[in-house]
Amino acid sequence: MKNMKTIYIFGIFVVLALVQLFVPAQMIWGREKVLNEGASYKFKTRPVDPNDPFRGKYITLNYELNSAETKDTLWSRNEDVYVKLNKDSLGFAAVSKVSRSKFEVSDDFVKAKVQWYNSKEHKVNFNLEFNRYYMEESKAYDAERVYVESLRDSLPENDTYAIVYVKDGEAVLADVVINEMSIKNYVEKENKE
Amino acid sequence: MNSKFIKELTELVRNDIISDEVSKNIQKYYEGKQAATPNKLFVVFGVIGAALIGIGILLILAHNWDDFSRSIKTIIAFVPLLIGQLCVGYALLKKKGRTWKEASGTFLFFGIGISMALVSQVYNIPGDFGTFLLTWIVLSLPLIYLLKSNSLALLHVVFLTYYSCEYGYGFRDYNPSPWLYFPLVLAVLPFYLNLLKQYSTKNMVAILHWILPLSSVIVMGAFIKTEWEFLPLIYIILFGLIYNIGSSSVLKQERLRRNGYLVLGSLGTVILLLVMSFKDVWKELSFEVLMDTQEFYIVLALFVTVLSVMVYSINKSKEGHLNLFKYVFIAFTILFFIGITSPGIATIGVNVLVFALGIIAIKKGADGHHFGILNYGLLIITTLIICRFFDTDLSFVVRGLLFVVIGVGFFLANYIMLKQKNIK
Repeated sequence: MKNMKTIYIFGIFVVLALVQLFVPAQMIWGREKVLNEGASYKFKTRPVDPNDPFRGKYITLNYELNSAETKDTLWSRNEDVYVKLNKDSLGFAAVSKVSRSKFEVSDDFVKAKVQWYNSKEHKVNFNLEFNRYYMEESKAYDAERVYVESLRDSLPENDTYAIVYVKDGEAVLADVVINEMSIKNYVEKENKE
Repeated sequence: MNSKFIKELTELVRNDIISDEVSKNIQKYYEGKQAATPNKLFVVFGVIGAALIGIGILLILAHNWDDFSRSIKTIIAFVPLLIGQLCVGYALLKKKGRTWKEASGTFLFFGIGISMALVSQVYNIPGDFGTFLLTWIVLSLPLIYLLKSNSLALLHVVFLTYYSCEYGYGFRDYNPSPWLYFPLVLAVLPFYLNLLKQYSTKNMVAILHWILPLSSVIVMGAFIKTEWEFLPLIYIILFGLIYNIGSSSVLKQERLRRNGYLVLGSLGTVILLLVMSFKDVWKELSFEVLMDTQEFYIVLALFVTVLSVMVYSINKSKEGHLNLFKYVFIAFTILFFIGITSPGIATIGVNVLVFALGIIAIKKGADGHHFGILNYGLLIITTLIICRFFDTDLSFVVRGLLFVVIGVGFFLANYIMLKQKNIK
């Protein structure tokens, strides 16, 4: 009888353990799918450096793509908005359309949170959700500094962008590029010099 | 067994106080008792060790090592989780003792956090810190019951409080209340009550007696969003609730230092009342009562809860004398609504309440020969008088005299009680 109880408890534990494994595994699986099968977009951006107590240092990315014209005026703060993407002449991501509902699966679109509606310009302002890029502890602050310096040095145009893979409305931030180099390597190079 | 104790036994046998047989029986009894309960320290060190290792790994991985590839990081993410699960599985199957269960459970708890944190880093998953904590808490909640683990219950309450603060007090543009706090606290309640029934003398139960009310005090403010004027009322009723739980028949027998409810409830009530004894505070509060607000409903819900706890404990124990500490929140609620229109009356009322509480504590201390409570009462009255120095114009002579009188009072009260105690 007592053995039955142990087996019973152990059975529940096995189920729980599977759930505990499933949650991170599912996080990985979804992202891997987007990275492998999704379309890649470049988003112009600006990095700043906060941190998170357990997950470490990251940089927050402020995207230049943060508003879109729309006739819909009834946007409320923090509402979900779906942004359909296309590419501009230089290959950067641009807004094709925004909507409250998801687009067709064949379209490339991402989810964002509404900030406010600008009734003068008929524009809805939003925040893209993939704005967190984790970096090695020593590099996150430098990433922000290097970015500011790169602006001052030569380039009048912002040349920092994020590479984001998009599939079925899911987006995965894969890398941040500064002067055509991954920001990780760029910070390393700058630190050596 | 304690060698000193054995020595005492042999001495008793030598002097013919007890027989040799009795001595052996006593030894046997204590040896059997010792074998049945594992070394408490061992459990504590096991848990602390597991927690420290877990946190350590978590922090090492938070460095975000660039040198490892994505796939290696992904594998590393699962290693602590799997090790934790294997240890817990082994402990359950082999029916290992407390130490095993507590330590492996604690390690698994951190293993869950590690795996999610690392995956978030590798894939730059944006979700905020609150959501991360919530997933972590929910995934480890069932372990409390499967392992019957005290340390996991404690970790649950601590992390739940952390989550609620992160979610409710955060500087966000929108202002959510951490409603999930309630179901998640309720989820650990059956475990807590069972512990209370079966092992009420254990230290762990006493720790929970402190942590649970403390957690509620910390989190309650996160539910106050716009009507900040309700804050004193909400907290007085909350402290009333905590005090009433502490003085209910279940917890009344506990010693004071084990009964966090009683201490926190009483201290919270007195401190908040002292703050409310200033006239300026009431003047600031002049406002219209908005009935249809979240804060007002919280007041109502808390009030009903305290009343039901009171009815329950009155039914359970027929107690003669009136303990004002239990009912003070009702008096304050009435004063609060009077204070909206006439702050003067409310101020006087609160001052009278604090004074009465001080006197009652002194009387209780004197009757029960409890120096702590006696001096607590004296301290309440002293603080009340000091507070009145700030908003009344008394001459320095009067202030000085008052202090001398209080000082003499402290001395006399303690002296008289000491004498009475010695006579007894």
